[in-house]
Amino acid sequence: MNKTIIALFFLCCSAAGMAQVTKVSVSGTMGISYEGYGLDRNPAGWTGYTPRRPWNQVRFNFMPNFQFGKNFSLPFNINLAALPTNFAGPYSGFIPGGPKQNFKQWMANPVNNIAVNPKYKWAELQLGTQYLRYSELSTGDIGVFGAGFDLKPGLYRIKFFTGTSQSGINYFAGPPAITGAFKRSNWMFQIGKEKENKYEVAFNFAKGKDVINSSAPPPLTIKPQEGFVISMLSNVHFNKGWYVKLEGAQSVFTKDLNTASTLLIQSFEPFIKAHTTTTRDYAATGSLGKKGQHFDIGISTKYFGAGFQTVGYPYLQPDRLDYTINTKINTWKNKMNIVASLGQRVNNISNTTLKANQFIGNLNWFTQFNDKWSLNLNYNNFGFQTASGLNPYGIKNVSNDLGISPTYTWSNSKMMNILSLSYNYSKYDERDILSGLTTSNNTHTALLTYVPSFFTKDITPDFSVMYFYNDVPMAKTTLATISSGLSVPVAKKKVQLRGQLQYNLTKLNSFKGDNNLIASCSVDWKITKQFSWNTYLSTNYFKYGNSIIPNGANYLESICRTGFQYKFDTKKNK
Amino acid sequence: MKKIIAIVCLMITTQSLLSQININLTLSGRPPANLTEWANRKDVLTFIMGSSTAIRFDVKIKTELKTLDGTVIGSTNLNTAKVYTPLPGASTILNALDVLPLENMIFTGKYLNALQKTGKLPADNYMLCVQLVRMPDYAPASTVVCKTFYLTAYQLPVLMLPANEQELNRTIAQSTITFRWTPVVPAFTTPVTYRLLMFEILENQKDMQALRSNQPLLDKKITGTTQFIWQPQLSMIPYSSGADSLNTVQPKGKKFIWTIQALDNSGQPLNQTEGNGESISEPKVFYVIDKNTTSNKKD
Repeated sequence: MNKTIIALFFLCCSAAGMAQVTKVSVSGTMGISYEGYGLDRNPAGWTGYTPRRPWNQVRFNFMPNFQFGKNFSLPFNINLAALPTNFAGPYSGFIPGGPKQNFKQWMANPVNNIAVNPKYKWAELQLGTQYLRYSELSTGDIGVFGAGFDLKPGLYRIKFFTGTSQSGINYFAGPPAITGAFKRSNWMFQIGKEKENKYEVAFNFAKGKDVINSSAPPPLTIKPQEGFVISMLSNVHFNKGWYVKLEGAQSVFTKDLNTASTLLIQSFEPFIKAHTTTTRDYAATGSLGKKGQHFDIGISTKYFGAGFQTVGYPYLQPDRLDYTINTKINTWKNKMNIVASLGQRVNNISNTTLKANQFIGNLNWFTQFNDKWSLNLNYNNFGFQTASGLNPYGIKNVSNDLGISPTYTWSNSKMMNILSLSYNYSKYDERDILSGLTTSNNTHTALLTYVPSFFTKDITPDFSVMYFYNDVPMAKTTLATISSGLSVPVAKKKVQLRGQLQYNLTKLNSFKGDNNLIASCSVDWKITKQFSWNTYLSTNYFKYGNSIIPNGANYLESICRTGFQYKFDTKKNK
Repeated sequence: MKKIIAIVCLMITTQSLLSQININLTLSGRPPANLTEWANRKDVLTFIMGSSTAIRFDVKIKTELKTLDGTVIGSTNLNTAKVYTPLPGASTILNALDVLPLENMIFTGKYLNALQKTGKLPADNYMLCVQLVRMPDYAPASTVVCKTFYLTAYQLPVLMLPANEQELNRTIAQSTITFRWTPVVPAFTTPVTYRLLMFEILENQKDMQALRSNQPLLDKKITGTTQFIWQPQLSMIPYSSGADSLNTVQPKGKKFIWTIQALDNSGQPLNQTEGNGESISEPKVFYVIDKNTTSNKKD
């Protein structure tokens, strides 16, 4: 299969090569960039701060689109990284200095992306790594290396794709440890009918299956799985902005393919055969609303059964019911804008005695009073509550955030000035399930920003001062920040300079304050209309007071990123 | 004659008593909610059977799962159950795979429905009763041993702040970003460690691609609370200025994806057979944008 995909890929490359002899246009971008990271910690041997970027990385991108006449296009999407940097998920452990990956693992590693999508009129061939989203309940979050098509004859929609979303990866105790993974083969299919902005009806089928013997030694904690989902979606857009969207799905998922097969659980043959670890459950989403120029309103609901699981969304959290009402209002000649949502989420609905209720409310209210004054108010609330179960008290967490941001703008013949103040109060209460005592976490944040804009000069500075105070039992943290930025074009506007300087003073309880200085700049040199050189430099110096041992520990962190980018378009060049 | 009959009866009874196999059942008080996970963990269930005398018959394990009021909600189908031959003078150690073979268990009513849909039973107190029965008449070959346990499923944290697609002010986000999430529900027996992971989504990367392939900018373990105020010490200015960038689609700002991994007290994912197996919560993305520049441009 992989060989076929690679052969097809090279066939497409050959077709692209014909661009030199046939009358075609080519447009797109290509570039190369280097990222360097440095960390110097003092005193020597202190490891209280860990590196958070790869020491070195080189990235390539090549995204040309060959256009053959009106109807045939050949877009490539190639993004590669010289070094793997996988820290989470099944590929974790492929990092510089760790075990090497083989060619197949390199091709399917999400750090790389190689794809080509030849398109002729309504027919598109999909080759390489594709992140395809068929629907909210079937598949959409995974990159699959393989081949498929997307056909749109008239109002009909026929899509199919098959490939590998994950290579087999052997378990390795380390260091660095590699969790390992089973090779996962996927396919997905959609058939439906769609009239843009009118309606859409489609059936989706998606399947993923792990290959049991694809890793040796196999992962210690991950089990080989198999999942199949079938869904039906229908979206209808009516006149005057009304719409209805519905999707229902059923999943059949086996958590461990090594377990015995069973007749006690209904299979979904020929797609999937039941094992003792198979679950079969439902999910549904629906929304109804109206969209207008000045007024939007909508209600939406989502239900995921406790056993609903799909390989297309590996991080989806089942066993919940959400319902939300959203609205957006533009009024007062568009000078007032209100966005609000109110909703509830019930988790753990399958365990009736221990379900958790979560309330979510958001409001953002912006008003432009006149040319000078504007005010933005926002309020966010979420509450989370469960029954006590075996504990004396249930969980109860409540978060309240209130923000007020007035802005004053004034100008004269030479410049315009913006002065903005932003204040945010945040309160987060957590109840202890054993003692019943509630801990309050209070945070105040105030930010004052001044931005002058000169009408006759290209220089754009900005200045800001921030004060932050957080109070929890046993810990009071104060943070003061002064920051200034500057943006200016030079060399006949061919070079755009941008810089920023920021100083932070942090104080915890009565400890001596921690000092932090961050300086950064970017230099963008547009060498020609098509060719640019972009450089970004940043340094971060942090020195602890006496809040940690060793006292006075400090580190200097630096980031350098530089790269060339070339944009081409043979049509424009002609 | 009567005496002889009495002696024979006594001998038969004695022989029958001697034929009883000793059994011992150890069961965790709070085993995993997912019944299929019991077999994967050695610490959940151990069943030992043994006899000091020679046993001349085969046995089967008769298991019953009951609610605390004694209602049987699931039992072994003895016709299809596995046959064991007790070894004289030796003990046989078995685990959940043998004692609670799901392929041979018959569940009833709502419990069957729940098990087929979710692989779990509703949260409650249950009792597991085990007895050996002899072949082929299924006569008792051991006493009944029962253990009670509490079954509950754990729900991973839900990410609350920053909310999905939320736009944070760059000036504030450079100094502090507040992360909030809901706790593991119900409260775990030991303190849960929440591993907070945040990744930058680079140009030309999909959200999930960044999570699976980038080094996290933030990797912090937090125990006992569901909030973390992070001082990023990062300059959030764009890598290249929007005006001169050759990218046709200008980035909205810097984009990040974050998630929580719930770990138990041994540092292992809390729930290894649920979802992705890594106990990673559904990730959310947020932006850090220059609100001052944005408002400037609007004006």
